[in-house]
Amino acid sequence: MNAVFPPPDAADSQRLLSPDELEAALRDIGARRYHILHPFHRLLHDGKLSKDQVRAWALNRYYYQAMIPVKDSAVLARMTDASLRRIWRQRIVDHDGDHPGDGGIERWLKLAEGVGFERDYVLSTRGILSATKFSVEAYVHFVAEKSLLEAIASSLTEMFSPTIISERVAGMLKNYDFITKDTLAYFDKRLTQAPRDADFALDYVKTHATTPELQRQAMDALTFKCNVLWTQLDALYFAYVAPGMIPPDAWTPGTGLVAEALAPQAGAGVRKMVADDRPRLPRGVRLRHDETRGKYVLLAPERTFDLDDNAVAVLKLVDGDRSVAAIADELGRTYAADPRAIEADILVMLDGLAEKRVLER
Amino acid sequence: MNALTPNRPDVPAPVGLLAELTHRCPLRCPYCSNPLELDRRSGELDTATWQRVLTEASGLGVLHVHLSGGEPTARNDIVEITKTCADLGLYSNLITSGVGGALSKLQALYDVGLDHVQLSVQGVDAQNAERIGGLKNAQPQKFEFAAKVVELGLPLTLNSVIHRGNIHEVEGFIDLAVKMGAKRLEVAHTQYYGWAYVNRAALMPDKTQVDASIRIVEAARERLKGQLVIDLVVPDYYAKYPKACAGGWGRKLMNVTPQGKVLPCHAAETIPGLEFWHVTEHSLGEIWRDSPAFTAYRGTDWMQEPCRSCDRREKDWGGCRCQALALAGDAAATDPACSLSPLHAKVRALAVEEAAETPPDYIYRTIGSNVRSPFKEDVNS
Repeated sequence: MNAVFPPPDAADSQRLLSPDELEAALRDIGARRYHILHPFHRLLHDGKLSKDQVRAWALNRYYYQAMIPVKDSAVLARMTDASLRRIWRQRIVDHDGDHPGDGGIERWLKLAEGVGFERDYVLSTRGILSATKFSVEAYVHFVAEKSLLEAIASSLTEMFSPTIISERVAGMLKNYDFITKDTLAYFDKRLTQAPRDADFALDYVKTHATTPELQRQAMDALTFKCNVLWTQLDALYFAYVAPGMIPPDAWTPGTGLVAEALAPQAGAGVRKMVADDRPRLPRGVRLRHDETRGKYVLLAPERTFDLDDNAVAVLKLVDGDRSVAAIADELGRTYAADPRAIEADILVMLDGLAEKRVLER
Repeated sequence: MNALTPNRPDVPAPVGLLAELTHRCPLRCPYCSNPLELDRRSGELDTATWQRVLTEASGLGVLHVHLSGGEPTARNDIVEITKTCADLGLYSNLITSGVGGALSKLQALYDVGLDHVQLSVQGVDAQNAERIGGLKNAQPQKFEFAAKVVELGLPLTLNSVIHRGNIHEVEGFIDLAVKMGAKRLEVAHTQYYGWAYVNRAALMPDKTQVDASIRIVEAARERLKGQLVIDLVVPDYYAKYPKACAGGWGRKLMNVTPQGKVLPCHAAETIPGLEFWHVTEHSLGEIWRDSPAFTAYRGTDWMQEPCRSCDRREKDWGGCRCQALALAGDAAATDPACSLSPLHAKVRALAVEEAAETPPDYIYRTIGSNVRSPFKEDVNS
């Protein structure tokens, strides 16, 4: 890949490049520094990341997505030419959408939800790595402080993004069973948006970088942007791959997720308990009164279940002979309650114990 | 609330007793949690003393008794001791290698009311397993033992201690547990105390392997829900927060050694200056409540920063004291497994470094060895 765009050597740096040479030099920066080359992306696209590592990526990348319109607004604020602004503002519309539920940020939220996150947790940005925030904010500051040419040139990583997106979508769909086409909807739009944006920005840079110095600035701006992206992956790799050093406040696996993501559905092979089943405690599981603590406990392999009064009442009747319906009838008589309502409740409880393999039928 | 507390509400009643009946064992696993200096048979407690200890434990509120070792079935009185547990209503858990005399005693153990069997498996591939356990022909004996446990209708847990020598077999352990008819599987990444500490460089897996093993377990849990319960113990060195060692020092568990010393955890003897009391000299209740070893790190008064003001201090109780000593040089320090410890990064780097090296040979567990921990000051030096 490197051979296609030979890097301009230092001796060349004072020479004015033709527009096509400039484009080649810019493309060369991408060929060497774009984050598609980062080890974290290799792992991501090859299906070598765990679900939690994919989650960490989705969560952190959200911050970048959410700040892109802020960045583009800063660029927009520096444009004195209405025709330029009309073009550039499309980027903000793409990301923010025209109404709630629309736009690129929303689609990224869908992706984050698709891998199991609670929407509010993602929106809060609480678990995002500081290094991610620093990188993204550096980008926003850069476009606000540098020249308009540099601000526009820094967006040119979009020239390289169609490749990474197609690789990513194909790789993720193939390698992760928790990723669906819907989850990745964000990238569908970007496949057409990014080249359109990049074409404009590239033309602008080629037209306006009219001195060796301006050309150097444009190249440096693109290098800076590649580093903004690269650094974010460095931070992800360091925290979630190796050495796996997660900073104190950053997201840790098992948090910020919706309940279903934490507790997957019951295995297909195991059927739920029904009213006719006759539950029993197998050998090695015993209901015992704990005199020291003045309560009943269920003793089981390597663990003790604390029981509430209702559970104790049920388990006292679990004998391998009575059916669930019969237990419910008996409790209904004792407590003057509707046995069918009791039955529904105790089926849930008994299923829970069966799932933990301390109850059989 | 219980017999202990009229004047000591700060002392909770114990729930578990780890009875290390003997240090004798036919296996020589290089990660054994027993101390480097193993007790000899001549010094072991007699049957009557164990029965008294169990009776006292029951009176204190203990619910679970883990009959362990060494290999507990190496004791001739294992059946009598198990019967005492059953008579007292104590839940008996036999933690066994399944080799040696284990199989021949199983029926009798079942008959007197044994509640549960936890069988260790060192590997899935027999050759690998026997290299790790240091005993030829162990694997077929284990399989035969497991089959008998299940045939009797006893609940079976398979325990696999995971390290770099078998981390590639995690999927295999899961299949094996299903095939054997086990109800539970423990995928327990090595905890680096005792012999495992000495062999740490030979055992430490790298982070990518650890993560892959966790991913495999997560997928299997989903797939096997209601069929096999899988408990996962993740490795400390790669963790964010430490484990509450033994559920908190002097809060839930106690450990009686073959010679009758009572420890707050099985590695506590590595901490110099702690005074342990003997069941031959004190009642178990006195020891639990008042012995210097138990009071040393019970509760939170002993803590330093960052533990002292941490809102997790009553969740993990500062982590493991033995690990704090080994890695930080101070048993009252924050466990360096905790990301809040100033030494955490060094410990993590150490693990990464060791995992990247070619593993040295195992130093096999053996009675009467002169092995000294080579890692005494590796972090602080």
